[in-house]
Amino acid sequence: MNLKKYLVRALHRLQKGPGYTYKELLVWYCDNTNTHGPKRIIKEGPKKKLIWFFLTLLFASLVFWQWGILINTYLSYNVTSSLSIGFKTMKFPAVTICNANPFKYSEVKPLLKELDRLIEAALERILQPGNGSENLSPSLNLELWNQIPLVLIDEHDKDNPVILDIFETNQTAVGNKTALDTETSGSQLPALCPQCSQQGSDNCTYRNFSSAAQAVSEWYILQSTSILSKVPLHERIRMGYQAEDMILACLYGAEPCNYKNFTQIYHPDHGNCYIFNWGMDEEALNSSNPGAEFGLKLILDISQQDYIPYLSSAAGARLMLHQQKSFPFLKDQGIYAMAGTETSIGVLVDELERMGYPYSDCTMNGSDVPVKNLYSQYNTSYSIQACLRSCFQNHMVEICGCGHYMFPLPEGVNYCNNEDSPGWAYCYSSLRSSIKQRQICIDSCKETCNDTQYKMTISMADWPSEASEDWIFHILSYERDMSTNVTLDRNGIIKLNIYFQEYNYRTISESAATTIVWLLSSLGGQFGFWMGGSVLCLIEFGEIIIDSLWITIINLIGWCKGLRQRRARYPDAPPTVSELVEAHTNLGFQPEPPGAVARAEALPPEPGTPPPNYDSLRVQPLDTLGPDSDAD
Amino acid sequence: AATAPGKKITARLKRTLPVRGPQAPTLSELMRWYCLNTNTHGCRRIVVSRGRLRRLLWILLTLSAVGLILWQCAELLMNYYSASVSVTVQFQKLPFPAVTICNINPYKYSAMKEYLSELDKETKKALETFYGFSEGKSKVRRSVDDWNSTGSDFFQQIPLLKVEDFSRTATDLHSGQKRKIEGSVFHKDSSIVNSGDSNDIIGFQLCDANNSSECALYTFSSGVNAIQEWYKLHYMNIMAQIPLETKEQLSYSAEDLILTCFFDGLSCDKRHFTRFHHPLHGNCYTFNSGENGTILSTSTGGSEYGLQVVLYIDEADYNPFLVTSTGAKIIVHDQNEYPFIEDIGTEIETAAATSIGMHFTQSRKLSKPYSDCTETGDDIPVENLYNKSYSLQICLHSCFQKAMVDSCGCAQYAQPLPAGAEYCNYKKNPNWMYCYYRLHEKFVKEQLGCQQICKDACSFKEWALTTSIAQWPSIVSEDWMLRVLSWDKGQKLNKKLNKTDLANLMVFYKDLNERFISENPANTLVILLSNFGGQLGLWMSCSVVCVIEIVEVFFIDSLSIVMRRQWQKAKKWWNGRQRRSSGKAPQARDLERQGHDNPVCIDEELPTFTTALRLPLPQDSPLPRTPPPNYSTLRLDTAFAEQLPDTLELGQH
Repeated sequence: MNLKKYLVRALHRLQKGPGYTYKELLVWYCDNTNTHGPKRIIKEGPKKKLIWFFLTLLFASLVFWQWGILINTYLSYNVTSSLSIGFKTMKFPAVTICNANPFKYSEVKPLLKELDRLIEAALERILQPGNGSENLSPSLNLELWNQIPLVLIDEHDKDNPVILDIFETNQTAVGNKTALDTETSGSQLPALCPQCSQQGSDNCTYRNFSSAAQAVSEWYILQSTSILSKVPLHERIRMGYQAEDMILACLYGAEPCNYKNFTQIYHPDHGNCYIFNWGMDEEALNSSNPGAEFGLKLILDISQQDYIPYLSSAAGARLMLHQQKSFPFLKDQGIYAMAGTETSIGVLVDELERMGYPYSDCTMNGSDVPVKNLYSQYNTSYSIQACLRSCFQNHMVEICGCGHYMFPLPEGVNYCNNEDSPGWAYCYSSLRSSIKQRQICIDSCKETCNDTQYKMTISMADWPSEASEDWIFHILSYERDMSTNVTLDRNGIIKLNIYFQEYNYRTISESAATTIVWLLSSLGGQFGFWMGGSVLCLIEFGEIIIDSLWITIINLIGWCKGLRQRRARYPDAPPTVSELVEAHTNLGFQPEPPGAVARAEALPPEPGTPPPNYDSLRVQPLDTLGPDSDAD
Repeated sequence: AATAPGKKITARLKRTLPVRGPQAPTLSELMRWYCLNTNTHGCRRIVVSRGRLRRLLWILLTLSAVGLILWQCAELLMNYYSASVSVTVQFQKLPFPAVTICNINPYKYSAMKEYLSELDKETKKALETFYGFSEGKSKVRRSVDDWNSTGSDFFQQIPLLKVEDFSRTATDLHSGQKRKIEGSVFHKDSSIVNSGDSNDIIGFQLCDANNSSECALYTFSSGVNAIQEWYKLHYMNIMAQIPLETKEQLSYSAEDLILTCFFDGLSCDKRHFTRFHHPLHGNCYTFNSGENGTILSTSTGGSEYGLQVVLYIDEADYNPFLVTSTGAKIIVHDQNEYPFIEDIGTEIETAAATSIGMHFTQSRKLSKPYSDCTETGDDIPVENLYNKSYSLQICLHSCFQKAMVDSCGCAQYAQPLPAGAEYCNYKKNPNWMYCYYRLHEKFVKEQLGCQQICKDACSFKEWALTTSIAQWPSIVSEDWMLRVLSWDKGQKLNKKLNKTDLANLMVFYKDLNERFISENPANTLVILLSNFGGQLGLWMSCSVVCVIEIVEVFFIDSLSIVMRRQWQKAKKWWNGRQRRSSGKAPQARDLERQGHDNPVCIDEELPTFTTALRLPLPQDSPLPRTPPPNYSTLRLDTAFAEQLPDTLELGQH
C-alpha cells in the first residue's frame, strides 16, 4: 500500500503530464510529441482520425524501411573515386637494367661445354637424320642426356606412335604413353621431351611440342638450370655482366652519373641487373621538370657476340621502371630495348590509392597475407608478383623437396639439380601446369592497396647515325677499355632516354562514399521528410515507453493488492488529459446538428466558466474556449 | 409539411456521414487556424506576431524559406541523374583476349598473277612514263603511240592526270592530251593547298558515267600516294569479282603464317587459330576466338605464360604496289568484338621479337538517362552487318555501307555485304567510284548523319598494350634457330629461311590485375528523399505531413469554403426571390441560419479584458455579462503584456 502510494507519487512527480492509464498516456504523447503525425490523430474528427492513424502508421513504416536501406548501404562500404591529373615534382622511378642474356658465354663456356656439344649433335641428328647415325662421338656425356632425353614421336600411325630417341637407333613403340597432349597430329614429327619422375620407371610424361625450335630451347633451359644451380652465387655474379662493362654513359638531368650510382642485384633470369635510384641506401631522386632534358640518359653495351646461343634467342637490354624498394619482376613488366637504336620512354605515373579493409580487399604492406614472402631477403616491399612467386616456391619445396632456380630460396633448402633430385624436372613441370596450385596462390595472395604503374610511351630511332657512328664508337671504346681499338658495334650499343611526360601523374584515389556523417544526415532527412521527427522525438518515444513501464508496475502492484479504484483514493490527482482533450475537441468548429437547433433564441449562449485548467501551462491548442468569445 | 421528410433525410445523412468540411467559416479564419496549428515553423509566427513590421518580416522570412526549399529541391531533382565513378581492382584469373594476326600483304602475289598481271603491267608502264622508272631495265621511254595501241582499260576508266595548279589545265599523261578541269578539285593531301608550290600535282579524275560533265578531280602532292590510291581502286574492282572461296585459297593458310605457337607454357598449333577473312588483309587468324565454346584464360602473368608465336612473313611474295611495308598486323580484342585490323591494328616488325604486355581494363557506363550510350545496339536504327556485338565502329561502317548501297546501288568492298547487295565493280556499276568518293566526302564531313545516329557502347573492354622490340634472333643464335625453324617448316619449303621472313610475337598479361571502372548512380530514391527531408526540415521543419496539411487546407478546405459561400449566396438569392414572390418574411429563420453558420467560429485572439470591454453591450439585456475567466490566457498573452496598454489606449480613444 505504502509502496504503491510512493510509486504513484513518484510517477506524479516524474511526469506531470500523462495520466495514469495507457490511454491517457498515449493521448498525452500524441498531443505533445514533436513528430507530425500523431498530433493530428487526436485533433481531428473520427473519420480523419482514422485516416491520420493509417497515414502515421504508413509513414512510420516507410521511415523504418528507408532506414534499413540506408544502413545497408552504409554497411556495404561503397567507395567513390576521384581522379587527378597533372604535373608535380615526383620521385623518379627506379630503373632496372639487365641484359637479355644472363651470363657471358666466354665465362660460362667451361660449364656448358658438354651441353652445347650434346645439343649440336642432337640438332645434327634431327636436321639430317640419314647420315652419321653410327659415328656417334664417344666424348658426348650421355648421362646428361639420359636424364631428360629429347625424342621424336612419329605419329603417322595415330594409335601406335613410334618414339625415336635421337641418340639411340632403336625405335620403341609405346602403347600406353601418358602424354600431356596426346592428340597432337598433323605435323609429322613433333619433337618431344619426356620427363620421367624416376629414372627407368615407366611413369613417363612426354611433353609435346609442335616445333623443334621450342623443344630444343626448352630442353636447354632445363638442363642449364640444373647445371647453373650448383654454381655458388658469387661465381654466378662474376660470370655475368659487370656494371662498368655494361653502363657506358649516364646522365641524370644535368648531373653526370656513372655505373657506381647503380645498385647491383642478381636476377635469376637475367644475371646481373643494375638498378638506378632504387632508394635503398640513399634518398630517392626527384624530378621536377618534364621532358627528355631532365630525365635519365644512358648508353649501354650488351655485347651480343658474347650471348649464350641456345639460351636466349632475343637480343637487347631488358629494362623496367618500378617503385623504389620494390623488386623488379622483369618477365612480367619489363620491356626490351633494341640494340643499335635510341629508345625514348616517356613516363606517366598511374597511381591507384585504395582504402583497404573493409572498403576493398587489398593489403597495405602484405603482413596479413598467409604466404611467406621470400623476396623480403632483398629488403623489398610486398608486391603481388613477389607473393605469387613465393607461393610457388613454397609449394615446390613442399612437394619436390628442392627450390626452383628462378626464385629465391627459403632457409635450409637447396636449388634443384639433376644429381641431387633427379625427378625435379617432372615435378616442376607438373606443378607448373597444375591449375589447382595456381588457384591456391591466386586465392591466398592479395594485391597491394597502393598500386603504381608506369605508363610508358615508347619510341625508337636508329642510333648512332651513320655519320656519327665512327667517332661515338671510338670514344666509348676508349673510355671503357682504354684502347684505341673499337670494341663496340651496332649490335651491342643501346641508348636510352627515360623522362617524365608533360603530365606525369594520374592518381585515382578512393574515398568512402558513405561516412557516418552521411548516414546520420540521411537518417535524419528520412525521418524529417516523412514525419518531421528528430532524435529528440526518439527520446520522447523512449520516455513514453518508460512511463508505460511505470504504469504497468503500478497496475501490477494495484492488481496484487486488489486495489481497483485508485482514482477515488487519490483525489489530488489532476484532471486527466483525456478529459481535457475530450472537452475541447468536442467544442471545436463542429456545428451542432441542425435538428438540435430547434430553439429560436437569438441570444448568444451564456458564457459559462470553463473548468479550472491546471494543466494549462503545458502547450495546448488555443481553441479551448467556449463559444463565449464572440466575434464582433 | 412537404419539406419535413427532406430535412429529416439530410439530418440523418449529416449525422451518419459527418463530412462537415472545414470547420472555419471564412477563408481568413481557415488561414488563421492553419497557421496556428500547423507543424511548420514560421506560419505560427506570422499570426502570433504583433506589429505590422514584425508580421511583415515573418511573412517575408517564411516566404523566402519556402522559396529556398523549392529552389533546393529543384536542384536536387535536376542532379538526380548523376553518376559517381568507382574503380575497383581485382586480382584474378583473367580470360585471355582473342588475338588476331594478319600478314600485311593480303594475298600471295604469285597466286594473284593471273588476276593482276594486266593491272601491274599498266602500273609499271605508267611509272615508266611519268617518272622514267623501269625496274632497272631499259630506261627508254616508250612513245605515246605505243600506249594507244595497247588500248589500256584502266586508264580509260580513271585517267591519271598531271595538273598545272593555276592554269586549271590538266595533262592526261597517258594520251598526252590537255584538258580543262571541270568540276571540283579535291585535295587528298591538304598540306599542298596552301604551299603555292608550282610543282605539278598528280591526280586522277572521276566522272559521273551518266553525266560526263560532272567530274571530280582528286589530286595528290606525291605520285606515291596517287599511284597507290589509283592502284587500290582498280584492285578493289578486280577483287570484288572473285568469290570468297577463291580468295581464301589465294591467301595464306594457317600453316603458312604460323611457324610455332606456345601458350601458357604449352605448345599449340594451327587448331587453336580460327580463320577470319578480312577483305583488305586476306586471311587472318584469330587465336582463342572462342569459336568452339571455350575461352582460354591465364592465371599467371609474365611473358612465359602468354602467347608466343613465330610468324612466317614471306616477303618475296608481296604485292609491290598494294603494300609497301613488311610485317604482320595484330589486334587484341574481345571474343565478341569484330577486329578492325585496318583501323586499330598494331604492326609487327620482321627479324625482331615484339613483346606486347597487356593491362586489362573494363569500363561500364550507365545508359539512359545517365548518358547517351547503348547497351546492345538494338535501339540504333542501323542494321549491324558484322555478326558481332555492337560497337561504334561497327555502327559507322554499317551506316556507311547502307548509304552506299542506297545511293550507289552496290556495296563497298572493304565492308561486309548487306542482304541482297553485291560488291561494286565497274563492269556492273561503271559509276561506283565517283559515287563512292562523293559519298565518302560526305561521310567525312558528317553530312550522312551516321555520326549522329551511332552511339558509343556502354560497356567496353580495353587491353592497354605496352609494345617493345628486341632483336631476334640474336647474332649467335641466328644460325641454329633458322636451321631448326626451316626444319619445322617442313618438307614443303626446301630453302633455308631468312630472318627477315620471320617475326616473333609475344602477347602476355603484365599483371593479372583487372581494373573495372564503373559508373554508379550517385543518387537513389532513398537518398533523394532524405535530401528532401533535410531541406524541408532545415528551412521550415516541415515533413510530408505538412505537405498533406497544405494540400488539405489550401486546396480542399479553401475550395469547399468558397463553394459553401457560393452556395449560401445562391440560397440567399433564391430565398429572397421566393420571399418576394410569396410575400412571407421568414426573418427569424434567416437570423437563425446566420447564427447557426457562425456560432462556433472561434476567434484565435483570446478575449482579454480589453477586448471584452470593447464588446458591444447587448441592448436588450440589462445585465452586462462578465467575460469568462480564461486561465489559459496566461500562456500566450504574457509575451505581449507590454503591448496591452497601447491597445487599451487606442481602444479608449
